[in-house]
Parts: sequence; structure tokens; C-alpha cells
Amino acid sequence: MKVFKDRYLPNEIRDAYLFLLPMLLFAVVFILLPVLGTLVTSLFREVTFLPSRFSGLDNYLRLMTDRHFWQSVRFTLLFVGVSVATELVIGMVLALILNESIPGRGFVRVAVLVPWAIPIAVSARMWEMIFNFDYGVVNFVALRLGLADGPINWLGSATGAFGAIVISDVWKTTPFMTIILLAGLAAIPQDLYKQAMVDGTTFIQRFFYVTLPLLRPVLVVALLFRTIDAVRIFDLIYVLTGGGPGGGTTSLSLYAFKYYISGDFGYGSAISLVVFLVAGLLAVFYVRFTGLREAVK
Amino acid sequence: MKSTILYILVMLAILLTGCADHEKKLTFWIGGAPQEVDYWETLVGEFERTFGITVDLIRQPSSTDQRKQGLVISLEAEQPDPDVFLMDIVWLQQFFQSGWLQPLDPFFEATGFSIAPFFKDVVDAVDRFEEHYYALPVFLDIGVLYYRKDLLKQYGFSGPPRTWRELVRQAHDVQAGERNHNPGFNGFLWQGAQYEGLVCTFLEFTASNGGGIIQDGHVRLNRSVNDVALEFMRALIRKYDISPLNTYTDMREEEVRRAFQRGDALFERNWLYAWNLHQKDGSAVEGKIGMTALPQFEEGQSVAALGGWHIGMSRYSDMPAKAWELVRFILSHASQKKLVLNLGWYPGRSDIYTDPEVLKKMPYAGLLQKTFSRAVTRPNLPYYDQVSDVIQRTVNGCLAGKQPPAAALGRMQSEIDHIEDIYAR
Amino acid sequence: MREERVKKILKATGVVFLLLFCLLPFVWVVLVSLAKEPDFLLPQVAFDVTFDNYSDVLISGSLHLLDYLRNSLVVSAVAALAATLFASLAAYAITRLTFPGRLLIPLLLLAFSMFPQISIVGYLFKMMIGLGWINTYAGLIFPYITLAMPLALWIMLSYFSEISTELDRAALVDGATRIQILHKIILPLAAPGALSATLLVFIYSFNEFLFAMMLTTDYRARTIPVGIAFFEGLHGQIPWGHLMAVAVISVVPVILLAAVFQRKIIRGLLQGAIKG
Repeated sequence: MKVFKDRYLPNEIRDAYLFLLPMLLFAVVFILLPVLGTLVTSLFREVTFLPSRFSGLDNYLRLMTDRHFWQSVRFTLLFVGVSVATELVIGMVLALILNESIPGRGFVRVAVLVPWAIPIAVSARMWEMIFNFDYGVVNFVALRLGLADGPINWLGSATGAFGAIVISDVWKTTPFMTIILLAGLAAIPQDLYKQAMVDGTTFIQRFFYVTLPLLRPVLVVALLFRTIDAVRIFDLIYVLTGGGPGGGTTSLSLYAFKYYISGDFGYGSAISLVVFLVAGLLAVFYVRFTGLREAVK
Repeated sequence: MKSTILYILVMLAILLTGCADHEKKLTFWIGGAPQEVDYWETLVGEFERTFGITVDLIRQPSSTDQRKQGLVISLEAEQPDPDVFLMDIVWLQQFFQSGWLQPLDPFFEATGFSIAPFFKDVVDAVDRFEEHYYALPVFLDIGVLYYRKDLLKQYGFSGPPRTWRELVRQAHDVQAGERNHNPGFNGFLWQGAQYEGLVCTFLEFTASNGGGIIQDGHVRLNRSVNDVALEFMRALIRKYDISPLNTYTDMREEEVRRAFQRGDALFERNWLYAWNLHQKDGSAVEGKIGMTALPQFEEGQSVAALGGWHIGMSRYSDMPAKAWELVRFILSHASQKKLVLNLGWYPGRSDIYTDPEVLKKMPYAGLLQKTFSRAVTRPNLPYYDQVSDVIQRTVNGCLAGKQPPAAALGRMQSEIDHIEDIYAR
Repeated sequence: MREERVKKILKATGVVFLLLFCLLPFVWVVLVSLAKEPDFLLPQVAFDVTFDNYSDVLISGSLHLLDYLRNSLVVSAVAALAATLFASLAAYAITRLTFPGRLLIPLLLLAFSMFPQISIVGYLFKMMIGLGWINTYAGLIFPYITLAMPLALWIMLSYFSEISTELDRAALVDGATRIQILHKIILPLAAPGALSATLLVFIYSFNEFLFAMMLTTDYRARTIPVGIAFFEGLHGQIPWGHLMAVAVISVVPVILLAAVFQRKIIRGLLQGAIKG
């Protein structure tokens, strides 16, 4: 307590928390409380057409043997892996290419913001049309270029739907990734490159030994955000495929939502908690194993 | 300090305009195809003029799932709107048992409404819960067999098939002949894609062999009669070759209807709505078709899956008396007759079926009246959508060749037993 | 010299690819929205330009498109202003005062913003029922403020930390209260940041889908993303022209904002990510 008194002025503490009050209040009431509420609900049999009763870990045990749940887990993890990796690669390539003054900067910037600014729901319907069996541009082009024998049933087949979802997601998020990587690249002093070139290194070597290490903090943060976003994906899938065909593209969030609508709030809450855990675990993984901690400090 | 206060006041003002009291309106949620929605507007307009009550008619998206989602969210949130809404027959138990609907029978006597004209078997089977009626049918639907009269005649058959065996023979012969100049011709089209409709198809095939989904009030799928029926469904595609390969990937109501309407099939299993569309000007099969009950297996009987939409009132309505006026109006003989004549619907009131005007427009009305009473329903369970999901996936997988019928039935049974345990009272 | 040329070509290609990648799908949307027949790519179908799609969807009362637009604009604007205000207050405390939790709180809020929405929305739905806020503006504004606050906070933090505390000290000596300092000195200096934050929160709220879908039930509070997700015309056949017209109308506000404020937005996003 003595140390505490020495370090802080009571007036300041009071002022600080007064300033922080609105934010903290909102955060507690509208984020913390609901999550705790979800946790509690998951321990109950909370079904709209049955009396509620405490059921302990029953909902979680049910998850263990639920085939469709595991299918959602597989789908979600696969989606996260493929999507984030693709965004990263394309984003990095674009950032490297653009890493200098770009002509017509303003226009390019607006163009780059378009995918990000459009609501996911709107872009999902856009892609729904583009991948449409009869009217879609993709099939039209593919047929014309002889890439396919017949129209591809994108949204009606498991792999097609997966591809459509990944492409839509990559479209939406790559520009953002590019900007972030660009800014990160811009922070690397050019002298280092000059030195490396004088030492007679190739571009590839420079990339792996100069660029990447210095880009690491930015990279890790960007990946962390993108991964967690991808784990909780809902909007795109709900609007584009509805989780189909046959439940093949149902992400974990969508799976939980379906149970809410079926009236089983307990089970839906349990699934929601799993999403939470997966996101949390991934975050911990990133912090621990990628040296984020040092970066933050 | 002053500006902060100003900020907050402004925000509160805006917030409050948002949650300004919702003036009480009689809200009626509908959905469906454009011509349906248009006609509802006409009918409701008439109600408004006759009774002097304003109705806020809200269009939901046409997708059944999204209509249900919208209703579930509103009802679970105990919202005063919608007051009146339509429900798919398979949602009824979930809605009833969740306590979202107003019992209707208290209103019957007070307003001189009688339930007698309605098909008793249907209404008692699906619209009741614990001694009360919570909904009534706006229209009924059953699966029927459409057939090409002209082709049957051309190939020397005296009439539509009575048994599945006859159907296979007729389809086989006609298909072989027609494919000479129309390679895209198929003998028999039906809904086999992985969606709710597949449960109806499955129900019809199995029940027509004396089987079905429910037995003695429980789901009993693994019976040998079901095995035979499911094997037959598979054989239609793989052995007899009269149903196309994309039956289990693409075929839903519209895909089947469009193909038949183009003239590319001899037989079609579909709902009643297809008749009017087939007979429209410009249809390639206009005047060439007939409608009959679905075939059966030798030892079974002809059955039809029961579909259709029902109307109910929200328990949380802020104007139940007025809501009932609207419900009563829609279920009245006059309104139901208009719906029949304008939309080609088959009402839940049997007294419409003897009306000469109706019989003139819909020649099969007499036949159908008898069939409704014998229609089979999908399981009346509050957790039906999960049961449906199991059946859809497994049957579709079986059709695709992933599992033999006996194994598929066994698996469905155990999964549904598990679900039943979870939701036991 | 060779390398210079190659680099230039690569860069130009990169820029062109980037532009096509970002804009082509949307250009397609605009084209379809202006066409009579959506399959005009086929040689036998002509590309008739028409504005009917737009007039149809705007005039149709039962579509409630203008209602959705109004709801989205109001909810997003209020959430944006409030979030920036709260974030400014918090950022002030964090950058100018010493107190326990100074480092922890921003990180905690950051963590909160990463919570999956699905694990919030279920119970939040129940809470909103209790408050009677289902299908109201308040029911959306309050959650949106909360979800977007961390973003606004990190932006304000980076701007505030660049403003020297000398200014504070001088003003305190003159007898100003902390609120006055924030209001009259710091905020004006950090105005670009406040603008960035407001814009980003606005766009975030405008685009939000899950909460809007679960917490609203009809046109009185429903927002555009939900409206367009549910947009369907004919049974089984979507009127692409109409749908694309709705899509274009839906994004006009955010695209305008993006076009006018692109520098601010990008700077804000970068700060949110890099400093974070």
C-alpha cells in the first residue's frame, strides 16, 4: 500500500476513472456481461419449447459427439488457413511491387478502400451474382476461354462453394492487408537495402534477411487480426451460401446461430463459447510464439 | 462542460426518436411469390375497407427459412408485431410449444366462427396442442403425380400408373422412344436434392409401401418396408435409369417443374401449385397433362405428403380482438374462395370444394378433397428441423450412393433417437 | 538501368492488377444495375441501359429501402459521434494521467473487440428484450458504440500521445479544468484523428450485420445490410437488376465517405493496426 500511495495521486486516479467511465461501463455492460451470460446459458438446457433446467456440461458433451459440429470446426479451420494465407501472399506481393511512389495516388487509395468499405452483406450478394450458374460472369468467362466444359455449379457444390467463399473473402480483405504491409515496408530504412545490395545479395535474399525480420511486428499484428476475424466469420457465409450446400460451408458462428433460431439457446451458447475459445487460443498462440510481446513493449 | 452536455442531449434526442412509441398497428406478415403477395394486398385492402381497421402488410423474403427466422426472433422477443402471420406446417409444433401463439378457440364462440367446415383430420393432426387450436390452414398442399396424357396415349398406355412398377414400365418405354429426338428427356422427375422437400418425397415413397417416418407416435425408420422404398428411390436413378443423375444434386420444386414444363419428362412428382403454371399460355405442355394420386407399392396404399401454410395470432399481440377479425376474414368462405380462384390454392375448408365455380376452374378439386384426409404428415415435433436435417442429409447421401439403404435407415434412427433424448421433457 | 525498367513495368502491372482486382467486381455490379437484362454478356441479348431498376426499388414502398437507409445513417452517425467522444475521454486519461490500469485497460479493450460477435449476440438479445430495446435505434447504437470503441480508442491514443503535455501543464497552471483542456486544446489539435475515428466507426456500424439481424424485426429499425441480405424478388429467381441497384444505393454513403476522406481513413486504419 505504501508503494501504491507513492506512485499514484488519489485525485488523478479519481479523474482518470471518471474519464474512463463511459467506455468501461459500455464495455462491461455490452460485451463482458453478454459473454458471461452466454457462458451461463451454455450450462443450462435452455430451449424455447421446454422448461429450463440446469444441465451442467451436457451441452458440451453433446458437442463432442456431434458430427455436424466437427464438420463446422474442420470447415472453419480450413477456411481460416486458406483465406489468411492467400491474403498474406497476395498482399505481400502487391505491397512489394507498390513499395514506392504510386502515380495517381489518391485514386488508387480510393480504389483500394472500395472492397473494405462495402458492407459484407452487399459484397456477398455481388459475388452471389458473379458466381451464379446462369448469369454469372465467372462461368461466362470460363466458358469463353475454354477453361471449363460446362457452367460450373459454384454455389451448389461443396468445393465450388468453398472456393467462392475464399475468393470473396480474399477480395474484401487483401487490399487492407496490402496497405498495412505497405506501411510496414515504408518504415524499413532504405539504407539497409543499399548496404545489402552493395554486399551483393539477390532480391530473394534481401527479402528473407532484411525485409521479413523487420516487417515481423506489423506482419504478426495483421495476421492476428485477420485470423481472429476469419475464425468468427458469419456475414459472408450466411448471405452467400447460407451454410450450404448441405451444411458443407457452415462456419462455427453460423452453426451456433442456427441453433439459436431452432430455439435451443443452450446449445447455441455452447457453440458460441467454443468459437470464443478457438479465437482466444489462437490469440494466445500468436502472442506466445511470435514474439508479439516484445513487439508491444 | 457545456458542449459535452450538448453532445449528450443531442444524442439522447436522436435515440429517443428512434424508440418513439410504436403506434399500435395491426401487422400482418406474409411472404411468397410476387403474385401471392399482390393478391394478399388486394384481399387485405378489402378487409380494411369492410372493417375500417388499418393493416400494415409486411413482406418477408420468400425463402421459407428466412421467414421462419424473422418470426422466431420477433416472437422470442415478445414483440407486439406481427399480430397475424403465416406459418409453414412443419413449424407449428415448435411455435405452439414455445408458447408464442394465441389459442384461437376462445374466439370461436364469441364471434360465431365454426371450425366444422375445415378438414377435421388435418386440423386435429397439426393445428392442435393440449386441447386448444392455435392455428388454422390457409391452404393445404399435397404431393401429386403429373403426367403427359398425350405421350401415354401415343405409346399405347391406357392411363396413368397405379403402382410404382407400372410407372417404371411406362416411363422406361416412353423415355426410350422420346430420347431418339430429345436426348434430355427423362421418365420421372422428383425432388431429391438435400433440402426439406426431400423429406416429403422420402415420406411419400416409404408410406406408399406401408412404412413411413412415424409409427405409434415415435420416429421408427428402420423397418424393412422403408428399406424397400428407399432402395427403390435409389434404383430410379441408378438401376432403372428413369430419373436423371442430378436428381439428388439439383432437383427441387422449380427445377422439376421447369423441366416438365419444357416437355422433357413424362411424369413429375410435385405440389399442387405446378398445375396452374403448366396450364398457362406459352407452356409447352398446356392442355397435355393430367394430375393423379401418387402410385403405391403393391402391398401399400397411395399417399401424399401434406404441406401448406397456416395462419395464427401472436400471443404478444397488442390488439388480439382486431387480429382475430383479420384471421376470421381470411378464413371465411368468401375470402378462401377468392384465394382459390385467384391463386389456385387448395383451401383447408372442405365446403369450398363443392362450389360449382371452383369446380369449373379446378377440375381436380373433387379428387383432392378425398386425398387431403388421407395425407401423411411429417413428424409433429417442436424440434422437427433437426430431425429433418438428419433425414435430408442421410437420404440424400444414400441416393448419392454413399450408403446402402439399410445402413442409412439405421443411422438416421440412432441419430434421431439421440435428438429425442436431448429434448425429452 | 535494366533493373529500373523491369521495376517500373512490374510496378505499373502491379498497380493495374490492384485497380482491376478492387474495382472490377463493383463495376460489374453497376453495369448490371443499369441493364434491362442481366445476361447481356450473351451475344443475343442486347445491353439496354435503363434506370428503371433504380426507380423501381426506390419507389416501392413495400421494399422499405429508404427506411433502411435512414436507419443505417442515423444509427451509424450517432454511434460514431458517441464512440469518438468516449474514446477521446479515455485517451485523454490514458495519455495524461497516471493511474493503475493505464496500460492494461487499452489492451483489455482491444481484447474485447476481438470477441466473436456470436458469443455476445445470444445473451445480448435477451438483455435487449428485457430493456425493451428490440427493433429500436438504441438497441443498435449502444452495442455498436461498444464494439467500435477500441478502434476509436487506439486512433485517439496515437494522436493524443503526439501532443506535448507541456500544453496541459501550462493550462493547469492557468487554472483550467481537465475537461476544458481536453475540449479546447487537445481535441482541436487532434481533430484529424477525431475525424478518422468518427469515420471508421461510422463505416463499421453501417456495415454491421449479425447484431442488426438479430436485434431488429422490421423496417422501423432494420439497417441496409440486413435489408439487402433479405432482398428477394421472384420465387426462386432473383431480379439481379433490382438487387444490384439496391447494392449500389446501399454503398453510396460509404463510398462517398471513402472517396472524400481516403487519406484520413487510411491513416486511421494504419494507426489502429501499427500502433496496436
